Amino acid sequence: MKTLQLFILAFLFAAAPLSAQTADEIIANYLENTGGTENWEKLDGIVFAGKLNMQGMQLPITQVMTKSGKQLMKADVQGQTFYQEVYDGETLWGTNQMTMAAEKSDAETTNNFKNNLNDFPDPFLNYKEKMYTVELIGNETIEGTETYKIKLVKEPIMVDGQEVEDVSYYYFDTENFVPIVVEEEITQGPGKGMIAQVKFSDYQEVDGLYFPFSIVQGVKDQPGMQITLTEIKLNPDIDETMFSYPEEK
Amino acid sequence: MKRVLIALLGLALLPVATEAQEIALKGKELFGDMNARHIGPALMSGRINDMETHPTNPRILYAGAAGGGVWKSSDGGATFVPIFDDHVQSIGAIALDPKRPDEVIWVGTGETWTRNSVSIGDGLYKSTDGGNNWKEIPGFENSERIASVVINPNNTDEVYVGVLGALWSDSEDRGVYKTTDGGTTWEKILYVNTSTGAADVIMDPKNPSTLYVSMWQFRRSGWGFNSGGAHSALYKSTDAGKTWNKIHNGFPEGKLGRIAIAVAPSNPSILYSVLETEDPKKNGLWRSSNAGQNWEHLNNDFGLVVRPFYFSRITVDPKNPDVVVKGGLTGSISRDGGKTFKDLGNMHSDIHDVVFDINNSEIMYAGTDGGVYRSWNGGTTFEIVENLPLSQFYHISVDDAEPYNVYGGLQDNGSWYGPSSAPGGVTARDWNSVGYGDGFRVLKHPTKNIIYSEMQGADNVWRYDVDKNRTKTIQPLPKKGDVKLRFNWNAPMAVSAHVPDRFYMGSQFVHKSDDMGDTWTIISPDLTTNDPKKQDQAKSGGLSVDNSGAENHTTIFTIAESPLDQNILWVGTDDGNVQVTTDGGKNWNNVTPNLTGIPANTWVYHIEASVHGKGTAYAVFDGHTTGDMKPYALKTTDFGKTWKSIISDDIQENAFVRNIQEDYKNEDLLFLGTEMGLYVTIDGGKNWSHFTNNMPPVAVHFIDLQKQTNDPVMGTHGRGVIIIDDISPLRELDQTVLAKDVHFFKTEPFTMTEDSGFSGSFGAETQFVGANKSTAARIVYYLQKRHTFGKMTMEVQDMEGNTITTLSPGKSKGINVVNWGFNTVAPKMAEGKTLSFGGFTAPRVPAGKYKVVLTKGMDTYSHTIEVAYDENSLGTMAERKEQEALTNTLYTMVEDLAYMVHEITATQDKAQDVIANHPKGKKDAQKLYDALESLRKDLVITTGDNYVASAEPELRERMGTLYSNVATSYDRVSGALKQNFELISEDFEAAKERYENIMKKEGEKFMNFLDKNELEKPAIQSKEAFLSKA
Repeated sequence: MKTLQLFILAFLFAAAPLSAQTADEIIANYLENTGGTENWEKLDGIVFAGKLNMQGMQLPITQVMTKSGKQLMKADVQGQTFYQEVYDGETLWGTNQMTMAAEKSDAETTNNFKNNLNDFPDPFLNYKEKMYTVELIGNETIEGTETYKIKLVKEPIMVDGQEVEDVSYYYFDTENFVPIVVEEEITQGPGKGMIAQVKFSDYQEVDGLYFPFSIVQGVKDQPGMQITLTEIKLNPDIDETMFSYPEEK
Repeated sequence: MKRVLIALLGLALLPVATEAQEIALKGKELFGDMNARHIGPALMSGRINDMETHPTNPRILYAGAAGGGVWKSSDGGATFVPIFDDHVQSIGAIALDPKRPDEVIWVGTGETWTRNSVSIGDGLYKSTDGGNNWKEIPGFENSERIASVVINPNNTDEVYVGVLGALWSDSEDRGVYKTTDGGTTWEKILYVNTSTGAADVIMDPKNPSTLYVSMWQFRRSGWGFNSGGAHSALYKSTDAGKTWNKIHNGFPEGKLGRIAIAVAPSNPSILYSVLETEDPKKNGLWRSSNAGQNWEHLNNDFGLVVRPFYFSRITVDPKNPDVVVKGGLTGSISRDGGKTFKDLGNMHSDIHDVVFDINNSEIMYAGTDGGVYRSWNGGTTFEIVENLPLSQFYHISVDDAEPYNVYGGLQDNGSWYGPSSAPGGVTARDWNSVGYGDGFRVLKHPTKNIIYSEMQGADNVWRYDVDKNRTKTIQPLPKKGDVKLRFNWNAPMAVSAHVPDRFYMGSQFVHKSDDMGDTWTIISPDLTTNDPKKQDQAKSGGLSVDNSGAENHTTIFTIAESPLDQNILWVGTDDGNVQVTTDGGKNWNNVTPNLTGIPANTWVYHIEASVHGKGTAYAVFDGHTTGDMKPYALKTTDFGKTWKSIISDDIQENAFVRNIQEDYKNEDLLFLGTEMGLYVTIDGGKNWSHFTNNMPPVAVHFIDLQKQTNDPVMGTHGRGVIIIDDISPLRELDQTVLAKDVHFFKTEPFTMTEDSGFSGSFGAETQFVGANKSTAARIVYYLQKRHTFGKMTMEVQDMEGNTITTLSPGKSKGINVVNWGFNTVAPKMAEGKTLSFGGFTAPRVPAGKYKVVLTKGMDTYSHTIEVAYDENSLGTMAERKEQEALTNTLYTMVEDLAYMVHEITATQDKAQDVIANHPKGKKDAQKLYDALESLRKDLVITTGDNYVASAEPELRERMGTLYSNVATSYDRVSGALKQNFELISEDFEAAKERYENIMKKEGEKFMNFLDKNELEKPAIQSKEAFLSKA
């Protein structure tokens, strides 16, 4: 818990003028206000620990992300550990909830996932080098707040065998330039065509960088699920074997 | 340091505070995350204006609804999602860019099948990202209706737009427009006059310089329709619109009406056209085999001549020039080049558009008055798309059941009622039919289980006894000596709040019945202008007579009985009169001359008699049938002697008004139903805010406020019933509240409902399911600013300050709504190999008061709420208390077992450590380990999985299931549960004893060994730490 500091300086950010901004400037301000490009670049790994609030249950969850692309998400329930979106550099896998055994994700999902490995720790970090494009769509009121709506286009993904653009929309608070909402069209599954929405709040400082400690995920205009982070560790020691796909079932 | 910073913070805010600026009581942020919910229905769907396929992907399909926006399917029509919800919902035409069909979409708004009840559009829109974002293209703001958007496939910056234009007035915004730069600049390249618009613009698919345009002279008024004139014509251009020539060679002389035109994609020299002419024999289908040089008349079957203004769409099979489909009452298909036709297969009547699958012409999609249909066999059988909630209500009402029901009538889709919430969501099967034809007003008898409904023009008014399933027709009929009764298409009905069996109807007279419609008395003179010029509907239609009754005029349209006095009745007529009686109809006072700012004869769409004063009423006026789209709403407090406009500039200038609903508690809180959605004021009309949270700008035809729940329920003309749950927080909003950082709104005690019925989700994969009202406690608060930085948490505490549970607080600026399901937290379960699902149950709290504590940075805000037991509980209070006590006992028992298993496994871990590293203690450690393992295997499942390879349940699983069964049934604990409890208690006691004995015997030796060798004790947490859920 020592890495977590209470943040009460939000008003310092309010100094930025509300003049016309370009997408590049907004993103530069965002990275600057949340710790600076240089500091973001220094990150090799992050461990997020938190709780998923589900109808009277606080499910403890952990996410590990690394610069090398290896990742892991897990939840502990009644002595069992459920893994989701674990990537060991080659295989993307997760726990089947019936058998509790590890199963590989399908090839398309895995390939699409690999596209995002260069998004650590933030898709906007050096986005030009990644050949991403950004566009300022305009000002929009969301969560009752004036925001800049920015369209981010990343590497194309495959959906049911067809290539589609990977587009997401970030709403940056005009006062402090942090994203408060991200929206993305759901490209597959039963929710196809609906808009997935993530809301960020409770930004707090961790060793000089700012992270949202509250994340609400769901479908637009429907109640979402809240994840509350309790601790974020930067550049932790990571035992790489935790990512490995367990060959024995 | 912190204190200094806070002081600084205070200073920074000071200038704002001293200026004491008034915070505007309007804007999107006022509503925060107060969201509307949609309950459909979708089972009869609603009118479709245009269908569009994708040029290369047969799975992608678009539907443009007459009043319900743009919908996209990515699965060949199995399901659709809306993609145009921020803009006007009346759609004329959809077009995809042939080169970039996944990105560039054009939408021309304003439906084009110009029946009496059509909505309006407000221009042309373009998306360059597949419909996620839309930009309005300047220049088309006054277009009202766009019939065609046509794109040159070789150069997609070249776009032609056919504007049909204004339906009820002259307009210069008509004709064909062209851009060559993707929409930045436009040129009007074909214009005839102020009454003639472009009904169809067609491009030769092989030669984009060749264009065909049908121009149509048309006009509608409140009392008639005229299709046709000397200016209707069919034009052709071969130079991309520079010059135009009429191509009428073979057509009869004289006036023409609406003309449909189509080019066969597989052979562009073949054209089909449908004509409306002065000579009925020459109406119907014409064909040209030489690209319009001359024409041959083929067919005037009913299906080809029926209602040209409503059905003038021809579609030719993309692969076969002889297969021709025409929209119509049933739709018609020809397979011999138009010589003969047969009806399309059974589906909802009134087919407006048909498209073929791009690869397989056996697959067809039809857009009808009842949604989208799909055929797999060339049009023989059709299936309905089940998730398009496009129902078009003319009127709705609600009752006081729990959950309340919503009643209403639909354009061409009868009358219905259905629940505002249902187990698993409001589905198609929850809706009940209570009337045929076009449905309008549907009213519940105030005390009996009887429903009144009607069809167009009061041709039938039904009294339906729901319990006995008996229907009686009860419409007022003329008796000897009466003049002809004139009922509106949408005839007014009202029930009395004072005399339950009293029922009113309006023709040009007010009819009153005190016996539920069996006998009627006329209690007024003709309250309309009775202008004979507006009563000649037999001649309405123009070239094709169209006397459906839809144009009946000089009729009463709204009747409002004062909720405070049964003798006060307000009447509004479609020709602009407002009349009031204060003596039950003996004397009527025509207060029309007192109206301010309302053009003469403007349709009085609704009068709301107020609960806030006998002389107080609101009247809204709708001038759109004269081309006047302005919003009008007036208020009187003196029985109509004086009126005041309550419209502000906040309301869009073309958002004409059909309905107003006052709040029953706060006189300044009003809801305005407009053509462009819902507006809300919290200061009596000085400022209005557009409500857009999950609420498209769809035409709101009627609003009712459900009294018990404070829910405004909207009947929309294109998106079904839309509800905003509990607007009581809006009653409290004022300058004082808005100036606070955080404000909790007052709430009534919440009932912990015990409903536990069954619900199946069968069919929900492809069917629309309406959202339910949450039965949880709604914690509502206002935040002056969005919370983005620092911690913000919320928890529920008992009145002593003990944490009950934590909640996820909303952080939005404005109103936030957080639901609490009355639960505490689930118990900590013993660890096992599998999941004990009973352990996921969080018990309910007892009734009483609780504190909601919001912590925001350094500040804490607290608010007390009250929760109450369900009055419909099956048990007595004593039985409930017993259930609560046993739940607590079991909760503790479950956690005791969890802790015991923790002690056991921690001790086992230590034993294994000794076995591995300390040979001297190995033997005793092994004995202890084995004994504990044998016990553990009886306590929790240690093998198998969560599905069919599951092991036999052990004590944890049996205890968890019992706990869950007791915790989730709120009445008397059954004998079986009690006996099971006895068994499990005994088993647990026995297990505890076994554990004690093991620890006394094998455990003591092991502990001694640890002591002697100064080894660490097993890593057993304190019970408090182990059970902590923080």
